[in-house]
Amino acid sequence: MTLHKISLPLAVLLCASFPALAEIDLSGSWAAINHEDALERGGGPSPADWAGIPFNASGRAKALSFSQSTISMPERICWFQTQWHIAAGPFSLRMWAVPDPITGKVVAWMIGAWETRAPMTIWMDGRPHPSKNAPHDQTGFTTGVWNGDELIATTTHLKTGYIRRNGAASSDQATITTHFLRHGDLLTVALLMDDPVYLTEPYILTRSYNLSTNPVAIGGPPCITGDEGVESGTVPHYLPGKNPFVDEMTKVYGIPEEAAMGGPETMYPEFRDKIKNKFVMPAKCKQNCGN
Amino acid sequence: MRSKLLALVFAGVTVLGVKAYAHHSFASTYLEDQRITVEGDVLQFLYRNPHSFVHVEAKDASGNTVRWAVEWAAGGQLGSQGVKHDTLKPGDHVIIVGSPGRNPDDHRLRMINITRPSDGWKAGGKFD
Repeated sequence: MTLHKISLPLAVLLCASFPALAEIDLSGSWAAINHEDALERGGGPSPADWAGIPFNASGRAKALSFSQSTISMPERICWFQTQWHIAAGPFSLRMWAVPDPITGKVVAWMIGAWETRAPMTIWMDGRPHPSKNAPHDQTGFTTGVWNGDELIATTTHLKTGYIRRNGAASSDQATITTHFLRHGDLLTVALLMDDPVYLTEPYILTRSYNLSTNPVAIGGPPCITGDEGVESGTVPHYLPGKNPFVDEMTKVYGIPEEAAMGGPETMYPEFRDKIKNKFVMPAKCKQNCGN
Repeated sequence: MRSKLLALVFAGVTVLGVKAYAHHSFASTYLEDQRITVEGDVLQFLYRNPHSFVHVEAKDASGNTVRWAVEWAAGGQLGSQGVKHDTLKPGDHVIIVGSPGRNPDDHRLRMINITRPSDGWKAGGKFD
């Protein structure tokens, strides 16, 4: 009886000393595992390779009009990388919690910046997203909630950015939902891009990171604009039907153009069956042959 | 032993992945399977992030003066190879081998290697 009298308050005390939800500590330096999509995250994708992106007609037209020289315009060198760059770039993550100075509760989780990607502040204090008419920028506005030991972050108020570094764009109406799942020393980050302007359904990428004792920079070196050779006053672009690289994937890899042009059906395994008779194995591998 | 080997491979992949990174796509910007040589004088050296640039003035086949924008590595990466902000100065005569840009009007190159004959200084990757 005495034991019961003691154990009940003890149980209550123990429960009260832990978070109500099964939160998990995400702080630390997380080293990117870059053999996942190494080509896309490193040197960058081939032109007109949009297989697997659920474009609508506007998204495809936007991508086909894109010239890489755009990103060398002085005003756009540091311009187009939103928080999606977490998934599409090769960089490691540094995460830390920001406590309320009085209560000690976590009011935000932070992810450090890198060059052209701004830091990500994930507000955990229940504040609402701003009005839809509030200013948009590359950083966006992010709030987070715990779902068990999974942190789910929602980012809105972004400017136009990129989905793939070959012209696949996201609009300022896009929402990025980021899931952080920790399994011991492994962190999986799953990002979903919802964009009513350029996509028909969410585009999903997952990335994995290893906990590292080597500190990842809290803020990477700054992006600095400069002369990259594009003449002032020009707006690089391709007019409809004039993109010279539209058949690049067919010429280099034998991939049918209807696959390279993307669209929702190109995301799913069944699409392979549809085009299998159109695929022509190149006689010789010309580039990115793994050697 | 196996875990050490895996760790080494992982570290290599991580480092290489970052080294090869561009704020734009190299494959979409340059004809990576081609290379050309440009010989001329340095106009300016932009030692910066996300990538450094060497601007060179050279004559084309018709004798016209052309300004080339040669893309190099990030400032931090060059620094680790001993290349400093004042390693190249305006007027330096250099020979640059690189992959040409897909848009010929841009007169761009992606640096493969650079040589300054006056003192034999070289930098970049493989020298033929």
